[in-house]
Amino acid sequence: MTELADLLVVDELRYSYGERVAVKSASLTCRRGEILGLLGPNGAGKTTLLSCVAGLLSGFGGKLTFDGKPFLPSDDASSRSRLGLVPQELALYSDMTATENLVFFARMQGVPSGDVDAAVQRGLDLAGLVDRKDDRVSSYSGGMKRRLNLAVGDMHAPDLLLLDEPTTGVDPQSRNHLFECLQSLRATGRTMIYTSHYMEEIQRLCDRVVIVNEGIVIGVGTTEELCRQAGTAEGNLEQAFLAMTGRSLRDEA
Amino acid sequence: MNTWSAAFLIARKDLNLYRRDRTGLLLGLLLPIILVAVFGSVMKFAFGGDGGMPRVAIWVCDEDKSEASQKFVAALREVSMLSVRPGAKSKARTASGLRTLVRDGEAHHALIVEHGFGEALAKDAEPPLTLIRDPGRQMETRLVGIGLMQAMMSSGGGRSMSWMMSSMMRRYGMSDQGVARVRASMDVMQNVIGLFASGSEPELREADDGDAALKSLDMSSMFGQMVPVTKEDVSPPDRPKNLGYQLAQSVSGMTVMMLMFGLMACSGMLLVERDQGTLRRLLVSRAPRSSVLLGKFLFCATVGMVQLVVLFVFGELVFSIDAFRDPLTLLALSVTWVAAATSFGILISVWAKTAKQAEGVATLLILVMAALGGCWFPIQMADLPWYGEVVTRSTLTYWAMEGFQGMLWHQKPWTDPVMLRAMGVLWGFVAIACGVSWRLWQRRFVGT
Repeated sequence: MTELADLLVVDELRYSYGERVAVKSASLTCRRGEILGLLGPNGAGKTTLLSCVAGLLSGFGGKLTFDGKPFLPSDDASSRSRLGLVPQELALYSDMTATENLVFFARMQGVPSGDVDAAVQRGLDLAGLVDRKDDRVSSYSGGMKRRLNLAVGDMHAPDLLLLDEPTTGVDPQSRNHLFECLQSLRATGRTMIYTSHYMEEIQRLCDRVVIVNEGIVIGVGTTEELCRQAGTAEGNLEQAFLAMTGRSLRDEA
Repeated sequence: MNTWSAAFLIARKDLNLYRRDRTGLLLGLLLPIILVAVFGSVMKFAFGGDGGMPRVAIWVCDEDKSEASQKFVAALREVSMLSVRPGAKSKARTASGLRTLVRDGEAHHALIVEHGFGEALAKDAEPPLTLIRDPGRQMETRLVGIGLMQAMMSSGGGRSMSWMMSSMMRRYGMSDQGVARVRASMDVMQNVIGLFASGSEPELREADDGDAALKSLDMSSMFGQMVPVTKEDVSPPDRPKNLGYQLAQSVSGMTVMMLMFGLMACSGMLLVERDQGTLRRLLVSRAPRSSVLLGKFLFCATVGMVQLVVLFVFGELVFSIDAFRDPLTLLALSVTWVAAATSFGILISVWAKTAKQAEGVATLLILVMAALGGCWFPIQMADLPWYGEVVTRSTLTYWAMEGFQGMLWHQKPWTDPVMLRAMGVLWGFVAIACGVSWRLWQRRFVGT
């Protein structure tokens, strides 16, 4: 892989909430067109890392490079337009319909008014909500909301889609549908960073995995590479993860 | 487990949860204490007169400057239900100055002790007094009348009582014979009045058909009119005849207070947005981050303007308050107050860590400001010490009331200095609140 293929480079990123250090030192590279899994126990610093990349936190140490250029999304709106965020919570307006949510976020993302209808249609197709497009979100099932949550994050076809545990609380059918959505996005060349606690999700979706523990990146590679690095059975990411991060219980701060 | 054991467990659990909600606990205990303290203090100053009567501000000018007139003014200052202005050591005002004060709505009652006051008293005749008043302030007029009687009796002693009673009884239709008996028998005066009022001695009356007059004899009104004064009524020519002071006060007060509550709820949507996660999504979007805060401001301001229009249309239709008499002033005031109330709501929202905290603090501040600013009753009636004046003038509601009462009651245009001052103070607050909100927004929501 050449240097040109790198979309996002995180170099020695550090962030503290007051006295508490959340990310001690994180360096990783996300390549164009890949799904990069971000794995770590509770409180490892995954969400903080993602928030720094998304521009939701500033004043961090280290350096971000996007497409070969310095990247400061907290200060620059045009940098943010290259990102899409699918947060862990259902970040939707429940008293609005799916169409209204999609139209609103498309406009907030600067989608040209002539392209909004097409973007909304694409979002409805992605979420599988064409038949329920004019119903209020509050009437949707958990799975439908999750799908719409994903579609809203991808409204403006961002260069990099950040997914923070997007399958939380959904049934296997909806999860499967979400995976299919993500795979269809990857087929269009979308680059994604995907955080989850579910090893099988990471294994199924991600090209490479970054393991974070106590604010430090302790492993980067494919599942096979990580298993080799941890000295565990090949193809078993969970064993490799436990070997690298330990078996002690973790709690969110 | 029986019902009582289960109920006890649930109650204990709820008490524990209540105790752990520090903000809720603090507000639950603090809110009543603060409100009682504020209202108690205001009421103490407002109703500090005799028998819990309100203290009424009255401006006085002594044109006579005789010994008797000076004694009368000094006695007026001693009447606990009156607050005589200017103070004894302050610079005296002229009669024309007092007329200007009442005309401009700065005062509602002013008394001129005319030339010849002392001379008339020396002759046991009615002394010349002129009362310049806003005729809409009827309650204050009655209290001023009682205060004048007290001062006259206090300064003139029994001699004043004689002509005061004669004058008053004549006005109520007493015959000369009755008046003579009153003047000759001051020691039994109270009995004579009682007999007259009860109608049990018809010979005290000039005519037998004076029953209607007797029935209308209201003792409080009677004492309020014992000192004859020449009344000069000063009121804005365009003021609707059916618009009472209390009505104007209520409309202004409720408008000011309810708008704050309404806009607080709207601006709380910023916290809802944060809690439901959509704020993060907005902050990651291409839109400038300042647009989120500005959008909330515009939303609240729009809702506020609609609320005001609905309130004033209702007031116009139901109470004929004539709010649309001067559309430009109404618009200027409404925009000003909506901007100030919105800024207040946004400031609380960006300061608070949780929606519950915002709601609690806002409720406390709005109720206290409403009381101190005069939304619930005319704070101008309260004879506040200097620090009380400072506190009331530090509230947004005081200046909003100054503006709305200026428009509705005093019929002032937006260009009037009083209105410009009120709007200027409110816009000053808007500027400061927006600046502070912006900093807090950057620090707490945007993370820069």
